[in-house]
Amino acid sequence: MKILVCISNVPDTTSKINFTEGDTKFDTNGVQFVINPNDEFGLTRAMWFKEKQGATVHVATVGGAQTEPTIRKALAIGADEAIRINAEPTDGFFVARQLAEVAKNGGYDLIIAGRESIDYNGGMVPGIIATLLDMNFVNTCVSLEIEGTDAKAVREIDGGNETIATSLPLVIGGQKGLVEESDLRIPNMRGIMMARKKALHVVEATDAPTMTADVKFEKPAAKGPVKLVDAGNIDELISLLHNEAKAI
Amino acid sequence: MANEYIDVETLKFLLNEVHDLEEILNLPEYNDHDSDSIDLLINSVKDFSDKEMYPYFKEMDENPAHFKNGEIVVHPQVSKYMKASGEMGLLAGAFPYKDGGMQLPSTVMNALGYIQEAANNHLPGYIGLTIGAAELITHFGNENLNQTYVPKMLNGTWGGTMCLTEPQAGSSLSDIVTSATPDGDRYKIHGQKIFISGGDYQGAENIVHLLLARIDGAPAGTKGISLFVVPKNRPDGHGQLAPNDVETVTDFEKMGQKGYCTTHLFFGGNGDCHGYLVGELHQGLKYMFLMMNGARIAVGRGAAAICAAAYQASLKYAHERAQGRKLASTGKKDVHQEQTLIVNHPDVRRMLLLQKVVSEGALSLVLLTSKYQDLSKSLQNAEEREKYALLLEILTPIVKTYPSEMGRVAVDNGVQILGGYGFCSDYILQQYLRDIRIFSIYEGTTGIQSQDLLGRKITMENGKALQLLSNEIKTTIKAAMVMDNLQAYAHTLGDKLQLTQDILKSLLGYAQKGDYERFLADATPFMDYFSNILIAWLWLDMAREAQQALLTGSKRHNTTFYESKIHAMQFYFTYELPKTTGLAEIIMNDKALTIGSKQKVFGNEY
Repeated sequence: MKILVCISNVPDTTSKINFTEGDTKFDTNGVQFVINPNDEFGLTRAMWFKEKQGATVHVATVGGAQTEPTIRKALAIGADEAIRINAEPTDGFFVARQLAEVAKNGGYDLIIAGRESIDYNGGMVPGIIATLLDMNFVNTCVSLEIEGTDAKAVREIDGGNETIATSLPLVIGGQKGLVEESDLRIPNMRGIMMARKKALHVVEATDAPTMTADVKFEKPAAKGPVKLVDAGNIDELISLLHNEAKAI
Repeated sequence: MANEYIDVETLKFLLNEVHDLEEILNLPEYNDHDSDSIDLLINSVKDFSDKEMYPYFKEMDENPAHFKNGEIVVHPQVSKYMKASGEMGLLAGAFPYKDGGMQLPSTVMNALGYIQEAANNHLPGYIGLTIGAAELITHFGNENLNQTYVPKMLNGTWGGTMCLTEPQAGSSLSDIVTSATPDGDRYKIHGQKIFISGGDYQGAENIVHLLLARIDGAPAGTKGISLFVVPKNRPDGHGQLAPNDVETVTDFEKMGQKGYCTTHLFFGGNGDCHGYLVGELHQGLKYMFLMMNGARIAVGRGAAAICAAAYQASLKYAHERAQGRKLASTGKKDVHQEQTLIVNHPDVRRMLLLQKVVSEGALSLVLLTSKYQDLSKSLQNAEEREKYALLLEILTPIVKTYPSEMGRVAVDNGVQILGGYGFCSDYILQQYLRDIRIFSIYEGTTGIQSQDLLGRKITMENGKALQLLSNEIKTTIKAAMVMDNLQAYAHTLGDKLQLTQDILKSLLGYAQKGDYERFLADATPFMDYFSNILIAWLWLDMAREAQQALLTGSKRHNTTFYESKIHAMQFYFTYELPKTTGLAEIIMNDKALTIGSKQKVFGNEY
């Protein structure tokens, strides 16, 4: 089985986010980037397929040279090869188009992408890849078993889970549940050293339209100070929750 | 948990920009690594520390190691951490490829150790001593000892210790009496050792003690001390272990680092404790001291890390706790205003800035000393190696002492920021304060380090090390002179170098007259003085690098980050460096009030 894990290079959740150029550009100075958590759950599941079922695992990302540390981490965790598509990931369609092109040429049986990235939260990439490649698709996938070309996937639905029987080739939009957080792997020293020797292919982007443009970014309003309400003053508590917090 | 206990961004700034790690990675010995892979390694060790270390920090203090039914009970995470560290490569990292290591430079290993110690300083000692013991075996032991012990130590299966101190021989190792009696191709060991960190703990399959003992008939003093491998359980050569007559007497109850056991061991109570000689006869202390630079850097690193973690904790509190109001222009407070966060009070900011300059200054010193260690070992040119060996020698007592002594002061200020809560176990600051206390005692007390600095290192090779260090400082001063906003600070540092010459002239006068007691009597105030100036130098260098980055528009960090480094340097030069004037006055006093044993200076009681 040949697996492609799509990796998005996203800011660490604890990074301080700032904008420049009239709030139209994200200021990346001093920001630590990581593997998108939903992609990391998928990568960890792919490593399980590698170790238990002998799968080959490639990872791919769309981005400039500054994204290489992120895919090197995937190699250090155990992926066999990496592909960097040398282009700025301008929007979801553009990214999906690039990844689909790589996937088409690579002959993959299983394509795993996170159900959404935690920076722009577009949530469209895996679905568009499946459409462009005309492959089966399971989104919000929380469990995946594969036997030969048969796949059993569980996806999260409103209020519960749905188990789906499908077959390879397959695209999934993965998330937590594919593996648990405690299963995520921290690259060890040997893995990091070996990652330096693994292939990291840089390919040029294929022509694709950018469908959208950022007009303006806004941060959420700053949180106000905490208001303490006396334990017996239920009326004031209700009034504050209703009129100020608008929670009830 | 981004900055919960460490500021990784500052660690990377110091490592890559200020101390130019690339220069080390370009050396043939280390060029299998590059700055990207080191960056990934740092992130990995931070993740590892978040997962395996920080969550157990408070628990280990609340559930101290203790002696029960003949063994030491420790937190269950100790054994898990040992194993996980082995898998992570943290034990083998610095060893050469031939010994199964990853051949990482000391600068990187100390950066990784720093992260771990900031996360939970009760744990890294277990692997630190195992690494030290394994290093002694690989450097000086024979092939058989290497094959028998080292692989299991480096994969975290077996622990290691250093057994030096005895009840009657602490700082004075020449007085040890543990004996080694020849018994075929091995020795029978008999004696007791105290203050043995990581000496025994539940769940350890084996512990390999590197023990100093005196072979029967050996010369008196330090020249008659040999080094032995003494395992808790001795391998029988067929994959089995047999008890080696090493008895755990007790575990010391301490004020801090309670999760890190400190044991009293008795060797050979039943006459059946085997020891295996490491290297040559009577060379034990020499072997130990060849490893001492690394051990002392590690102590300074641990203190710097605790200091940094305490800073993060008090910084967080100061940004959450509202108390009091800012003074209005009338000089009064408006009680109708909402209370302000305590970080807005100048006195709290002063204490936070003190924590910042001490913790980051200490880290910079640790990384610079580590760099000198790498260059002294791995440069191709022998003359250059010699230069950095001398710089390493002169900085070693300081890197051990400054973070331990000033780190404690900084943590104490962190407690103060929390007010009454700082004194309560609900908050972590009190634990940091108790934990850091031991660091000015470990591996040679401050008094011993200070005498080493003034009595040996300053004067060694006719002051060559001091001259080399002065040249390094002058290089920074020269570079800072061309930056308008740093020029005044560069001048001030130059003046302090001149003052140092005056002090040394005064002190060396006593040595020349043969009055060594007077020469060294105020070695500790001299250490305070000299280390203060070195940290000023390192802050000027950080500010120079930050200013350079701002001028060139470096994208590695944002503007606020770089500006904060320049501000911190200004604080250091304004609030810390001036203390050297008073210290100079103390050091050059002619009253000799601490010398002499006959006068009743303590009144009639003694």
